[in-house]
Amino acid sequence: MLKSAFESIGRVTLFGARALRDAWTRPLEGQYMLWQFYEIGVGSFLLVVAAGFALGVVMTLHTRSTLVQFGATADIPAFQSLAFFNEIGPLVTGLLMAGRVGASIGAQLANMRATEQIDAIETLSINSFKLLVVTRVIACCAMLPILTIFMDIAGILGGFMSEHLVSHLSWTLYLQRAFENVAFADFIPPTLKTAVFGFLIGTISCFYGYTTNEGSDGVRKAATKSVVISSLVIIMADVILVKCIFFLFPDQAI
Amino acid sequence: MNDNSSGGGQHDTAIAFEQVDKGFNGRKVLDNVSFSVARGEALCILGRSGTGKSVTLKLMIGLHNADAGKVLVGGKDMATLDEDGLVKVRRKMGFLFQSAALLDSFTLNQNLALPLHRLDRTKSPDEVRHAVGETLRQVGLENDGEKMPAALSGGMQKRAGLARALILKPEILLVDEPSSGLDRITAGEIDDLLIKVKSERCTTMVIVTHDIHGARRIGDRFAVLDQARLLAFGTPEELDGRQDMRLRQFISER
Repeated sequence: MLKSAFESIGRVTLFGARALRDAWTRPLEGQYMLWQFYEIGVGSFLLVVAAGFALGVVMTLHTRSTLVQFGATADIPAFQSLAFFNEIGPLVTGLLMAGRVGASIGAQLANMRATEQIDAIETLSINSFKLLVVTRVIACCAMLPILTIFMDIAGILGGFMSEHLVSHLSWTLYLQRAFENVAFADFIPPTLKTAVFGFLIGTISCFYGYTTNEGSDGVRKAATKSVVISSLVIIMADVILVKCIFFLFPDQAI
Repeated sequence: MNDNSSGGGQHDTAIAFEQVDKGFNGRKVLDNVSFSVARGEALCILGRSGTGKSVTLKLMIGLHNADAGKVLVGGKDMATLDEDGLVKVRRKMGFLFQSAALLDSFTLNQNLALPLHRLDRTKSPDEVRHAVGETLRQVGLENDGEKMPAALSGGMQKRAGLARALILKPEILLVDEPSSGLDRITAGEIDDLLIKVKSERCTTMVIVTHDIHGARRIGDRFAVLDQARLLAFGTPEELDGRQDMRLRQFISER
């Protein structure tokens, strides 16, 4: 069991390393890559924005009920923005993408393997790894930070709506309070760390989809493993990345 | 029994198997198999399900490697080729999969244009469009280019798969079960297309089939596989003259 787990980790690592190496070689598969950007980015946009908005509303409802006891309701916008920029935006976007994109990539590639489509690509003298895996991994890396920004914006907007309905706080004042305590390190590093989440989601889900060879049952297994393992690895990677951010920007740790 | 007669000298040999062994999970599917296919010849591989017929095709195009022995295509040992070498050999080959294996997220036009875009960069978009249209016309699908594979019947998918296999004008065409899942009339139409390709382009063909009627129409020679070994190899007339009862089960039309 343990040996098999370590073997899987090793194989996924080698798979990811190959994707990183092949990302710099020609052909760049630009057209197919743009299509993946569209599928992953545009296809996930509504999900991310809707989830971010709802989370923003809920968070404000919770923080208000607590902060009102201390007479600190004026700090709600700052809590909201810091929470979203630092952790909620990146992590929830990562987990949502692990669910939506991970399952989609895992199932699609496993189905292509089961129906010999990947073999067909190889017989056409096209590098199937480059076409199917590298493009998806790059698209995940590129789209996660962008989607995270939209998640942050939607969260703050949701927080504002919730607060506005209760306290009639103006949009200008809300924004002013939300951003007055936000530093560079509160926004850029946590947003960029989602590129690592994207790499992990892309690599893990492509690995389980591309390497399966179990027919239709392989599709089910690939989709399930892609979601479960991507989600778990993202949460574990988040711990390491947050420690790295604290190391590079010590003020954040205070 | 290994009959090496191919009717041609070494320079006329398109494909040669030399004492090839291949197994999966400890089970041998090809055991010491040797035969060769002359240029311009159509070889039909017959045999029961699970006797390594499709594996034989996949060995020819380098999707699998032999465990022992040599698979030579155009005199080149497939096992020793690097990625570039494999691409060069595959460019001369077309493969029609049993399931057609069309890329299900692409339209027919895109399926056919994919290898042209990648492998023949001298062609302008207009030339690619023209080549795709012309090839679809040859298989009777000139009005279906914008359809997705899922919108096509089994016979149309087979014809589309054949069009994709022919788009690069291959010297060698490998065909896996062209008539499987098709009614007699549609299967006959696919056979007609293969005969037309063979006569017009002098294409070397290796066809795996259970349909002895179609095999007798297309094949110049038969290779009969049974229990992982080559049971017989020769022209239909030669094999008809043999009194082997097991062989007769495979080659008689009943």
